[in-house]
Amino acid sequence: MTPVIETGGLTKRYRRVTALSECTISVPQGRISALVGPNGAGKTTLLRLLAGLATPTAGRAAVLGGAPRQDPAFLAEIGFLAQEIPLYRRMTTEDHIGIGAHLNPRWDGESARARLGDLKIPLDRPVGTLSGGQRAQVALALTLAKRPQVLLLDEPVAALDPLARRHFLATLADAVAEGGLTVILSSHLVADIERTCDHLILLASSRVQLCGDVEDLLSEHRVLVGPRKDTTAIERDHTVVQADRTARQTTLLVRLNGPVITGPEWEAGDVTLEDLVLGYMGADADPATGELATVGGLR
Amino acid sequence: MTWVIWRQYRVTTAIAVAILAAFAVVLLITGLQDATRWHNALASCGKTNTCGTLAQTVSLGSGPVNTLVVLTLIVPILFGMFGGGPAVARERETGTMQYAWTQSVTRWHWLSAKAGWLLLAGAVFGGLVAGIVTWWSGPVNALNQGQFQPGSFDVQGIVPIGYAVFAVALGIAAGALIGRSLPALAVTGGVFLALRLIVTYWVREHFMPAVTTVYSVTQNLSLNGATWTLAQGTVLPSGQFTTNLSVGPGHVVSGPTGPQVPAACQAATSINATITCMARLGYHSFATYQPGYRFWPFQFIETGTFVALAAALIAVTFLVVRRRDA
Amino acid sequence: MIKFRVEGRSGVPPSQQIAQQVRQALRMGLLAVGDQLPSVREVVSATAVNPNTVLKAYRDLERQGLVEARAGHGTFVRGRPPGPPPGTHVRLGRAMAACVREARAAGLDDEAIESLLRVALQATAEEDIA
Repeated sequence: MTPVIETGGLTKRYRRVTALSECTISVPQGRISALVGPNGAGKTTLLRLLAGLATPTAGRAAVLGGAPRQDPAFLAEIGFLAQEIPLYRRMTTEDHIGIGAHLNPRWDGESARARLGDLKIPLDRPVGTLSGGQRAQVALALTLAKRPQVLLLDEPVAALDPLARRHFLATLADAVAEGGLTVILSSHLVADIERTCDHLILLASSRVQLCGDVEDLLSEHRVLVGPRKDTTAIERDHTVVQADRTARQTTLLVRLNGPVITGPEWEAGDVTLEDLVLGYMGADADPATGELATVGGLR
Repeated sequence: MTWVIWRQYRVTTAIAVAILAAFAVVLLITGLQDATRWHNALASCGKTNTCGTLAQTVSLGSGPVNTLVVLTLIVPILFGMFGGGPAVARERETGTMQYAWTQSVTRWHWLSAKAGWLLLAGAVFGGLVAGIVTWWSGPVNALNQGQFQPGSFDVQGIVPIGYAVFAVALGIAAGALIGRSLPALAVTGGVFLALRLIVTYWVREHFMPAVTTVYSVTQNLSLNGATWTLAQGTVLPSGQFTTNLSVGPGHVVSGPTGPQVPAACQAATSINATITCMARLGYHSFATYQPGYRFWPFQFIETGTFVALAAALIAVTFLVVRRRDA
Repeated sequence: MIKFRVEGRSGVPPSQQIAQQVRQALRMGLLAVGDQLPSVREVVSATAVNPNTVLKAYRDLERQGLVEARAGHGTFVRGRPPGPPPGTHVRLGRAMAACVREARAAGLDDEAIESLLRVALQATAEEDIA
């Protein structure tokens, strides 16, 4: 099956800044994919390129089989939610439902009203007077009412309290469970990602470091703990993503290139999603010492 | 998209219509009063044969209403700054433009609908205001024949439509290129003002070559209609034209640095003798003007110019919005 | 109807947590053979867990012979995990709760109580081997 979202060598440069470099990803149908990376890594740029809000400097992107383009039929299939949740602040939710009905070829206003009714969000108040969590839910309901096939969300839950976040993700996961929807959601909250996402795209330094189903990625990595000693054998056989060397022991996050064969002094453990994300995000080598920097350490 | 624009501008439209209605009522009432006064004055001057000096004896309009009419000069700029500017700039700032584009509306469609309706609103509103003012000015124009003068020309006829359309286009273009409301507002106001001043005081008089008439210093030049006098003065015997000296029946006026009455004529016993003396020496009077029958051609030329500029601005806006990232 | 609680940072993947909670409910008698498990959408709405995760948990339970999926109707309990009847579980659960209360009264915190349990599990495992 062709992936719903695919890019090849996608690059975006703004004058002297390279926001995204040689990005190649693939997201299969029905996934809720977490787009993870430090600030400035290119997450928003990638989402905007996929939505057709920006054009690439080089490379290609394909969503639902075609390049993102200015065409109502294509635009109707994509839902995009920007971080600021731009809505017409002085208009009510009901107004927005009306606007959606007029501007979209496919529109299920009733589903939006039903969802928001379940969440007890009033439809007749100006959107600007709702709380952040309520506005996010309104925006999500409006985007889902378009019945898109692809949903691109740029840090939609960053400013929400834990309860509002939980509700938002539950609504999102339920919409995916209904069928026909693929989601990319950028976030830095590992707990949320672990719970709701089954696919991961990790960007760091404007490049793709990881892209795949979470299950597969976790099984491809191990944490190796052992006494401080020469690790060249391991480094030769596998890819060391991150190394944490203390006086007594060495902890390595490795990507396996084959079966793990080490001496008995090395203990191999499973990797959690948090280990993986922090390991790759912190794995920029420090040019002065040659040591790999660590962020947050490993468990 | 039309529905959305209506929803966005409902309240603004209602306020604008209310203000227009109030304005229309004021001008209707005072206009009818002026018309009555004018017709009465015409009737009575006919009997006493003093119609030639009506301008000195009759005054039409009142202070506040006249001021109101002059203030309609700013209607286009208000439309441009508050109607056109925020249209694109604020939607970019708040992200609602992006929101519309993610609601299956292509950029082309969004911009053409927005620009189209705003330009139309500007043209209609500007036209209605201009129509009311032109009707109201009927008696004043008949009395003073001043409609070609800068100030009156700009608020009557069809040029206000051109100005309004241009101001809206300028506001939209500024919003699209600058992207932030306040700077876009400032640029719209500034550029509009500058252009209007330049056209009014430096360009308009050259739409068609002005007519210069040279005539005897012993006579007055009588021109029919609403003439726009650009320059008046004296042709010296040397052939030099100067506006620093004015010679005519009953008056010789010389500017501070201007040529004086020639020595040969200074001994004359009366003003008229001086004038006859100067005539004999080869002095003539001249007037450079745009004749009154060119009022409407000028209206069309100026309106056309502003509409063409508006079209260019809109074309640029489309190009920018289409190719730029959202 | 069973309500699932998926803990974020427990170290146990969500699909396993769901399967464990179903098995525990079966042991305790809270779910009986023939009962219907919540639909995937119900679980997802309540916990914000990925639908594929819930499907995986239900599939694992199906493989273990504990539940069966009936097309168009839902997932139903088919059997119980091996072990003593629910009554035993309930009785032991109460005994353990009493022990925990005693430990807390003595001033132990959760971490200390967990360590005691782990030590006991290890010690008794060694006893069994010995």
